[in-house]
Amino acid sequence: MHAHEHRAVAERIERSMRKCREAHDHELLIEAAMLAGSHWLNARLHEDGVSSAGDDVMHTYLLTVNQHRRLSVSQPEAMQALGAIEDMRPAFVRGDAPGGPEAARRAIGLLSKIRPTHQ
Amino acid sequence: MLIAAHLQKIDRLLQTRSRLDPSADFELWFWAGMNAGTHAFNAALHHARLTRERGAFAMQPGVYLVPRADGALVAELDEPGDVLHVGRPVIEAVLPPDIQRIADAMERMEHHRDPCIREGRPATPAIVAACAEALDECLHLLQHRLAEDRHACA
Repeated sequence: MHAHEHRAVAERIERSMRKCREAHDHELLIEAAMLAGSHWLNARLHEDGVSSAGDDVMHTYLLTVNQHRRLSVSQPEAMQALGAIEDMRPAFVRGDAPGGPEAARRAIGLLSKIRPTHQ
Repeated sequence: MLIAAHLQKIDRLLQTRSRLDPSADFELWFWAGMNAGTHAFNAALHHARLTRERGAFAMQPGVYLVPRADGALVAELDEPGDVLHVGRPVIEAVLPPDIQRIADAMERMEHHRDPCIREGRPATPAIVAACAEALDECLHLLQHRLAEDRHACA
């Protein structure tokens, strides 16, 4: 996907997120932050010429160490934020650890660090 | 997780999904259904005693977050409990026919995951319908499996 296509999907997902509530829908809000965040990250990487369309990041933990290091040099805050959202999934999305709504709030805050500031 | 916890997750995810428009909100609508179906698959596997029913949360195949008494979550290596997706990890056993049908339905649904969520392919009404039917089949099969238990106990 090209940068403008990633942006369009991220914006769509964020519109859908507004139909969810932290208190009741924390699983899907965390998943949505992860999905939208990965599209924002790919848009930024493509726009900066660090990666090309067709060479998208799906999850930060699926990157090789070298890829992760390279992309983190380009987008350190966004890479770290997406990784932090991904790390919430075992406990609060797949699992039922206490604190799901608070985790969703944190995920939404982290998403704002991945979204380009000019959006 | 425990079967009861999987069932609670399914209920929560279906409630969330019901507030989403399958077309306008396809990404999240699909994701809610995929997660609900995966919980159904896990509950069925636990019920058939093919995977371990345990209060632990899947991180990656073979690695689980385990809650401790003090509330901390600690990563441990363990035998298969919850799978992340059908095939992750592969269950090293012949699945009972109903659970195989759940796995097949999930694979039909997840066939649309990357193209429509990550690669920009539009979700057509036919894709929406196929995903909805796949989830309905998963949930129906799980309910039937669990109900048979209740009949046996009655």
